[in-house]
Amino acid sequence: MSVLCPDIPAPGFSFENCRRNVMLENKGLALPKATKTGTTIVGIIYKDGVILGADTRATEDTTVADKNCEKIHYLAPNMYCCGAGTAADTEMTTQMISSQLELHRLYTNRVVRVATANQMLKQFLFRYQGYIGAALVLGGVDSTAMAVFESRWKPDMEEAEGVQLVRDAIAAGIFNDLGSGSNVDVCIIRKGAVDYRRTYDEANKKGQKQNSYKYPKGTTAVLTTKVVDIEEVVVKRFESEEMDTA
Amino acid sequence: MSILAYNGGAMVAMKGENCVSIAADRRFGIQAQTVATNFEKIFEMGPHLYVGLPGLATDTQTVMEKLRFRKNFAMLSHMLYEKRFGPFFVEPVVAGLEPKTYEPFICNMDLIGCINQPKDFVVGGTASAQLYGMCEALWEPNLGPDDLFETTSQALINAFDRDAISGWGATIYIIEKDKVTIKNLKTRMD
Amino acid sequence: MSLAELCGMEDTGAFKFSNNLNDDITNFCGNFSSHIQLGVPPFQNPATDLANLAKDDFGRDIKIKFDHGTTTLGFMYQGGVILAVDSRATGGQFIGSQTMKKIVEINDFLLGTLAGGAADCVYWDRVLAKQCRMYELRNRERISVAAASKLMSNMVYNYKGMGLSMGMMLAGYDKRGPQLYYIDSEGTRTPDSGYKWDLTDEEAYDLGRRSIYHATHRDAYSGGIVRVYHMKPTGWVHIDNNDCLDLHYKYQAEKEDVENKI
Repeated sequence: MSVLCPDIPAPGFSFENCRRNVMLENKGLALPKATKTGTTIVGIIYKDGVILGADTRATEDTTVADKNCEKIHYLAPNMYCCGAGTAADTEMTTQMISSQLELHRLYTNRVVRVATANQMLKQFLFRYQGYIGAALVLGGVDSTAMAVFESRWKPDMEEAEGVQLVRDAIAAGIFNDLGSGSNVDVCIIRKGAVDYRRTYDEANKKGQKQNSYKYPKGTTAVLTTKVVDIEEVVVKRFESEEMDTA
Repeated sequence: MSILAYNGGAMVAMKGENCVSIAADRRFGIQAQTVATNFEKIFEMGPHLYVGLPGLATDTQTVMEKLRFRKNFAMLSHMLYEKRFGPFFVEPVVAGLEPKTYEPFICNMDLIGCINQPKDFVVGGTASAQLYGMCEALWEPNLGPDDLFETTSQALINAFDRDAISGWGATIYIIEKDKVTIKNLKTRMD
Repeated sequence: MSLAELCGMEDTGAFKFSNNLNDDITNFCGNFSSHIQLGVPPFQNPATDLANLAKDDFGRDIKIKFDHGTTTLGFMYQGGVILAVDSRATGGQFIGSQTMKKIVEINDFLLGTLAGGAADCVYWDRVLAKQCRMYELRNRERISVAAASKLMSNMVYNYKGMGLSMGMMLAGYDKRGPQLYYIDSEGTRTPDSGYKWDLTDEEAYDLGRRSIYHATHRDAYSGGIVRVYHMKPTGWVHIDNNDCLDLHYKYQAEKEDVENKI
């Protein structure tokens, strides 16, 4: 291997740190926890399509790590997917499946069917036997919000009615489940059109500050200061001259 | 004790008006013992781009070397996720200005590369609980470079003053379109 | 009338709650009536089985992080005893206090330092203060430092192995001159001998101050304010308090001065 011709890194996961990490764990050092989306995610079927909904809280242990994260992931132009579980897993899994679906679409020259995506996800997640902690909703239902659906969902709902139901279901999760919080995202998938409404409902507005905590200049004691000027990089394009053949 | 608390360290990045800041403490310790007080955890990745790597110090340096070698910053998140089942113990904090538009950009990641990209501030390291508290109270929109310096510095200093294993000096970078200002702060040394 | 009474059911003892606070005090708070009698859980062998309480159902350690203090120092020299301490209290890695008072003024001729569990030290120092006062009233003379330290080590020895955590220094001045003892929760008790005898008072204070400062600089769990006390034939004197922040930059400037001269 040289710098000029580096090895192409092997695809897939790398396990090179595993032995070291197990050693550290055995020495009594606790392994850090990854960010989770202790989540309320829902999906319902209505008259003309499906509606997905999600809250926007991501947690790291008991800390709210992200107050406005995106849990409705893009899979294909006609397909979105809600993710719950280890945040990095849902993000990366949906990205991988998304590119597979695009390749599949180019290969078959057809709009990819949801069943195909479902099968791909199932096979991928099953391969990792639960070690990849992703619970995905491709039009299914999950969690606290279920109670709302049990009482109010009916076949052939109108769109407005469906969106309201999804909002209420997510709100139930946001207010009653400590792992869920912040805002409601809604994604409406109709035939031939997707309406992704990020922050459809800001369920929890941060309190307005009544005053400013701005520090007067010079509050912080400084030992040394260094200023590095950045010259603006100007990219010039020179038109090529024709070769003089005269 | 968590592996992330083996060496200690605190880090914060904030958005301002046409500028961003990123700051970290300077302690390198092994559990209770402070070994050095000139340990830099923030690295320049481009004229307008800085990345901080709080966590296990050996991984701070390994990940930094990997980024330097690849010179391909966009893949940091994927680099971390590649080691999903045997991660590096760092929780990167990124701050910079977008190329061309010079829009402020900040984000942080967990140890397996889950990106968090809020509109106000990100924190990392062992004093993160205290930093969240300080930043939620102090941050406000449209801070100019001077105000951003005071707000970020005070958030960091007051946060790590309540954390036993971070502190011992601090470095702050204020990144603007035409210049980067780097300051070493006078802090408690105990 | 309750259903149980209507049915003619007797109260079963296990579910009967007493409303009598005094009963609760005698049953569960032994130290309310006798300070040296801590309430012990109703186990067969409290000393050995108590540790089980610190484990959960899965055998993992329950993380109870009570406040700890660390750096304390005492030494004897020709002018008496110097005690110097830091003022940081930590619960895990969290700094609970930067201004804790780790020297307890037991009486005019006795000082105790706290290290280890803050609650343990404060509690037992208080009990010791009471015992010493009782001794004084009964015997019409001050207790010797040796006797006071023996009282202390005997009291904590009763709870050896049950989780008390303390390592204290007891400094005093009695008929036999300046005295310094070390006592810990394992029951160890040792008298101290002089470190460097012929120091002036100022040199001794500075030695104590610098030692504590250097400890706070290197040790994450020490810091805050350096407090220096001097035990003299006439009783203790509080010399001064210095913030580590000021000490650091003062010593650093002194060091640079010396380097510049060379």
